[in-house]
Amino acid sequence: MSVFEGFRFRHVHSPIHHLDPRVKFLYVLVVFGIAIAFLEVFPLVLLFLIQIPFVLLARVQREWIRSLKGALFLAILIFAVNLAFGYFGGTSPSSMFLWEYPLAMSLRFLVLVESFSIFFLTTSPDHLSLALEQSHVPYEFCFAFTTAIRFVPVLAEEAQTIMDAQKARGLELERGNFIKRVKNYVPILIPLIVSAIRRSLELAEAMESRAWGATQKRTNLYVLRLKSADYTLIIASLGMLVCSIYLRLYVAVPSLTMLLT
Amino acid sequence: MPIIEAKNLTYTYPGGTEPAIKNVSLTIEKGDFVILTGPSGCGKTTLCRCFNGLIPHFYAGRLEGELSVARLNVIERPIYEMARHVGLVFQNPENQLFALSVEKDVAFGLENLGLPRDQIRERVDWALQMTGIEELRERAPHELSGGQQQRVAIACVLAMQPEVMVLDEPTSFLDPLGAQKIFEVVSELNRKLGVTVILVEHRLDLASKHANHVIIMNERTIVLDDEPQEVFDSESARLIGVGIPKATKLWVMLRQNGVRLGRAPVNPEEAVQLLRGVLQRDRS
Repeated sequence: MSVFEGFRFRHVHSPIHHLDPRVKFLYVLVVFGIAIAFLEVFPLVLLFLIQIPFVLLARVQREWIRSLKGALFLAILIFAVNLAFGYFGGTSPSSMFLWEYPLAMSLRFLVLVESFSIFFLTTSPDHLSLALEQSHVPYEFCFAFTTAIRFVPVLAEEAQTIMDAQKARGLELERGNFIKRVKNYVPILIPLIVSAIRRSLELAEAMESRAWGATQKRTNLYVLRLKSADYTLIIASLGMLVCSIYLRLYVAVPSLTMLLT
Repeated sequence: MPIIEAKNLTYTYPGGTEPAIKNVSLTIEKGDFVILTGPSGCGKTTLCRCFNGLIPHFYAGRLEGELSVARLNVIERPIYEMARHVGLVFQNPENQLFALSVEKDVAFGLENLGLPRDQIRERVDWALQMTGIEELRERAPHELSGGQQQRVAIACVLAMQPEVMVLDEPTSFLDPLGAQKIFEVVSELNRKLGVTVILVEHRLDLASKHANHVIIMNERTIVLDDEPQEVFDSESARLIGVGIPKATKLWVMLRQNGVRLGRAPVNPEEAVQLLRGVLQRDRS
């Protein structure tokens, strides 16, 4: 089930993995803000490149490239749509701006995908839920979140078993036109949903048996504390933000159009 | 000193027309290792759910009779209070682990109780050590085998330091070797820590050597309740279709052929000793 592979977090120990998820999220937001602030190609390319050391440091380059590949199709689509709108919207076909604007838009998208994938590839769901918990999100939500992730591989396996069982009874999944194929999945989905409901009842029973709801003041085995690496990233992120605000307001950022014409 | 006392316990599930257990009365002593067995659908699981208050608090329905576990009246106390005294391990190991690492799962119950962090850490380490799964500490549940998952489930319950541990067919998803390992772990907890164990089990060949008390249920009530030898020897146990240990079966067959060999053995070691004794006596 390759679809579910992406949800399977692997425990890797690296400086990036050990960063506080809240700080990493701040970093993602800063990148997000900077990407929105600039429409010129140069700063966006720069923003794209300075994130690569993070990926290498975290040793997630393979997964990272995979997620970028996935985003490439959408990036091309964004480029094409913006180009078409520019062309038919009256931008002179000879001007460089016709090309720069769509290019900047798709780069912006890639930068966002890049930073989000760094965040999700290097943050364990456990850490993420801990961060949510310490940000005063009610524990029930955090619990639901980690439990959902915990059961992804279980349900994937179960879906496979049901598929095999139904195929053994003569169900042909890959047959017919699109509508027919979608309909073929009904005999897979119904048992899957029924068993998920039964599973949830058993889970509830197990939770109750382990003193769920005994006290309002629940402790957590782990606690997130900011370390020096976290402070470094906070300072770096804020520094980046301040620099880019300064550049935006007081420096004329050269655009491709200006350079080439 | 009895740790579990039930008097005329009768329970009907909500919407059910007939009771799932009828007039169940039993006494279990502190430190006992009890095997609870009987054909499927005879009410074993329902009885287990009564011990920690899932019945009547989680399942609603109608419960009559009296039940006290660890000196607490189950009918009056909330489940989370019972959870400190009674640990329940379920049949499917997969559905009782919710966290993304073993360590976090073992801590779950203690976190719910709101214990201080150092104490949680201490007890988690202790529970992992007692069940022999320290090396699995950082693994995710889906990376473990069924047997390992079930041992984690036992550690989860053990971390709460219960006086009674109820295991509802913990080995039905496991291979014989995994099952044996579970029995050994549970037996050790029983011997070393004096935890009262109630084990619902069909594999009596493997399990019965650890037990000192066997209860057989049939048709929603208790039919036999005695020491292992007495229970396995009885005619009614055979008629119900309980998987009587082969050593006991051999003894019964020999008796039917006129060979009388003292007390019924419940495991191969005892049978060997018995037979060896007789053979030596014959020779001399």
